[in-house]
Amino acid sequence: MKIPNSTVALIALSLMLTACSSTTTTAPDEGEDAAPSAVAAAEKAALAAAGGEELGGTVSMLGVLGGAELDDFEDVIAPFERATGVKVQYEGSRDFGAVLQTRIDGGNPPDVVATPGLGQIADLADEGEVIDLRGVIGDDALTTNFSDSLIETGSRDGKVFGIFNTVDVGGLIWYDPKFYDGPTEPASWDELQTWAQSNVEEGETPWCLGLESGAASGWPAADFIDTILLRQAGPEFHEQWWRGEVPWTAPEVKEAFETYGELAQPDKVYGGTTTVLSTNFAEAAGPMFKDPPGCYLHQQATFMGGIITDTNPKLVPGEDLDFFAAPDFNTEFAGIQSISGEVVSMFVQNEQSEALVKYLATAEAASLVAATGRWLSPNKNSEPDAYENIFLQRASETLQKSSGTYTLGNSLMPQELVEAFWKGSLEYVQDPSQLDTILATLDKTRQETY
Amino acid sequence: MIAERIGLVLLAVSATVVIAWAYLLFGNRLISRLPRRLNRRVMPWLFVAPAVFVIGCLLVFPAISTVVLSLFNKDGSSFVGMQNYTDMLSNEITQGALRNTVLWVIALPSLAALLGLLVAVLAERVRYGTLVKATLFLPIAISPVAAGVIWTFMYDYQPPITEQTGTMNALVTLVPDTEPIAWLISQATNNWALIAAMLWTQAGFAMVIFSAALGSVPVELHEAARLDGASEWHVFRRITLPLLIPTVVVVMTAMTVIALKTFDIVYVMTNGNYGTDVIATVMYKELFTARDNGTAGAVATLLMLAVLPVIFVNIRQFRLENKEA
Repeated sequence: MKIPNSTVALIALSLMLTACSSTTTTAPDEGEDAAPSAVAAAEKAALAAAGGEELGGTVSMLGVLGGAELDDFEDVIAPFERATGVKVQYEGSRDFGAVLQTRIDGGNPPDVVATPGLGQIADLADEGEVIDLRGVIGDDALTTNFSDSLIETGSRDGKVFGIFNTVDVGGLIWYDPKFYDGPTEPASWDELQTWAQSNVEEGETPWCLGLESGAASGWPAADFIDTILLRQAGPEFHEQWWRGEVPWTAPEVKEAFETYGELAQPDKVYGGTTTVLSTNFAEAAGPMFKDPPGCYLHQQATFMGGIITDTNPKLVPGEDLDFFAAPDFNTEFAGIQSISGEVVSMFVQNEQSEALVKYLATAEAASLVAATGRWLSPNKNSEPDAYENIFLQRASETLQKSSGTYTLGNSLMPQELVEAFWKGSLEYVQDPSQLDTILATLDKTRQETY
Repeated sequence: MIAERIGLVLLAVSATVVIAWAYLLFGNRLISRLPRRLNRRVMPWLFVAPAVFVIGCLLVFPAISTVVLSLFNKDGSSFVGMQNYTDMLSNEITQGALRNTVLWVIALPSLAALLGLLVAVLAERVRYGTLVKATLFLPIAISPVAAGVIWTFMYDYQPPITEQTGTMNALVTLVPDTEPIAWLISQATNNWALIAAMLWTQAGFAMVIFSAALGSVPVELHEAARLDGASEWHVFRRITLPLLIPTVVVVMTAMTVIALKTFDIVYVMTNGNYGTDVIATVMYKELFTARDNGTAGAVATLLMLAVLPVIFVNIRQFRLENKEA
């Protein structure tokens, strides 16, 4: 081949360009690290979890975190590594489900996993792949640290397949207090819709919305439809729904989609439907902080506060960004909140993995989770003042005030149905008139998967 | 840790060398004891056997077990005959994926061959030809996943009221009164947009092969034709192109296989949403999301059947060329 000189020049040029671009700064760590006393307490708890000795060795962990989120999780793990000498090799993958399945099929499962997809772990537990954590952590430690409903959510047939490590409150509505002039404590969904309508009539756009998320595109819509169904049709129907006992063509499900559709109308979302479908969920709130704002409200769970402040470090929480919980959709089920979160499960039992799971179940480790300022702690005994972040303090209050908390159905369903749900949500936003066809297709998938 | 790993690697390398050497040495001694005529017949097998064994383990066995799995249900517990195939072919998603794959198989090879040939022929005639060729060749070093990410940025869509950050839409909106295009969402453009991204990574390969083949076309033929008064187009049409036909076949078959097994670009850029599924993404979803070994096996078998004739043509072409040489 005779392309040497010019090729070399081009490669050199591209290398130079990469070198330039890589000097752009990444989002700084917010520096909300835990107090030294909390870290010391966690180290002590870690040593106790390891049976009082320095075990050494490694434990492999598969999860979904990356970037700033992973840095925060590593702050939780660090005291464990220092105290026990066990190195935690965390591998984060957006393709978690496929990677886990391949490694199990290949006879090389990770020791420990952390995932928001409880449904997949529950299925694997049915196949006997997951280790019962009741024996590892012990009944006492389990019931002192976790509420019955969280233990129940992570159980199958009396066996505990996963314990919650982080919790997010769903159905929050984020806004910029400087510009948003609507109700911040709306009594009902309709009140919020009335404001949205008047906002449209003034020639503005109420909602910031973005559903693109690579291979998981559509999940932000699915999550909120899920929340609407829970709070509109009630927890009992919601449970039947995610257990596959009621059809997706049921009027309750259709109503939840249509309620979401009120929000996702082309004239109520920034840029119209095409923009919604092509905007990444993490960037969706961006237009809210322009002057004048492109839109005023953004619906997303607690973790969105962290994502927004990661990308706009100048925003002052509480002054430039705040949230309120979505109002009740049905007075009959007032005050219910939806939650999601990551569960920790064990696939290979050895001294190191046991110690890690035991440590993560302690109140001391949970206090560090709270101190990251990113997630709520699922642990009943984590330090109440561990939340330095104002959003988490408020979210924690929201949970305490709620009349009941329930896990999102789409984190408990079989993975095939979850992905069909994401896809169906995208199709619904793209063309709401197809709702009946979409629900019929989803119901076909339900019949095939349960 | 690292010293340990280097040690292991050295051990593995030396073990491989020793085993291969011992295999050939003792195999040879064993065979040389055979009668002379038998010896001649057996000897080639001694050399071929390791390759046959490896290919048998890594290719033939998995292929057969895939076909077997495709005749069983989800977890392989009961025999269902051809049901996976009939279900698959009547399924709307698979039908859409098949249609898209046909589009890929027609569009990618012809566009790659056309573009590759065009650049190869034209670049020979200008001084900065090497630079043009290098530019077209560079993307071949980029992995499909990275290419998918790059092109997602290129196709980025912003609402008409704001500035366009995607290169393609920035260009489109230079024309007054045009709206940006949602390349990856609009069903009129999305499959073509994905094919274009793949073309970007593959056209350089086609071009390099054509370039090399052009070099082997005898200069005397061109000169003779020009002396006889042939126009440049005639020289290309009557002399260059006929001599390049075998190369065209090679490029087209290689591109057809690439089009058939397309996965990464689609998975990264749309994940099959908005009607962009291809056979390989359907197979992936059946295997890893639905965890249905039967249907995934049926899709894989279908893909294998589609590739076989192409491979056959390629091998035949290869043999023909070897005979000529």
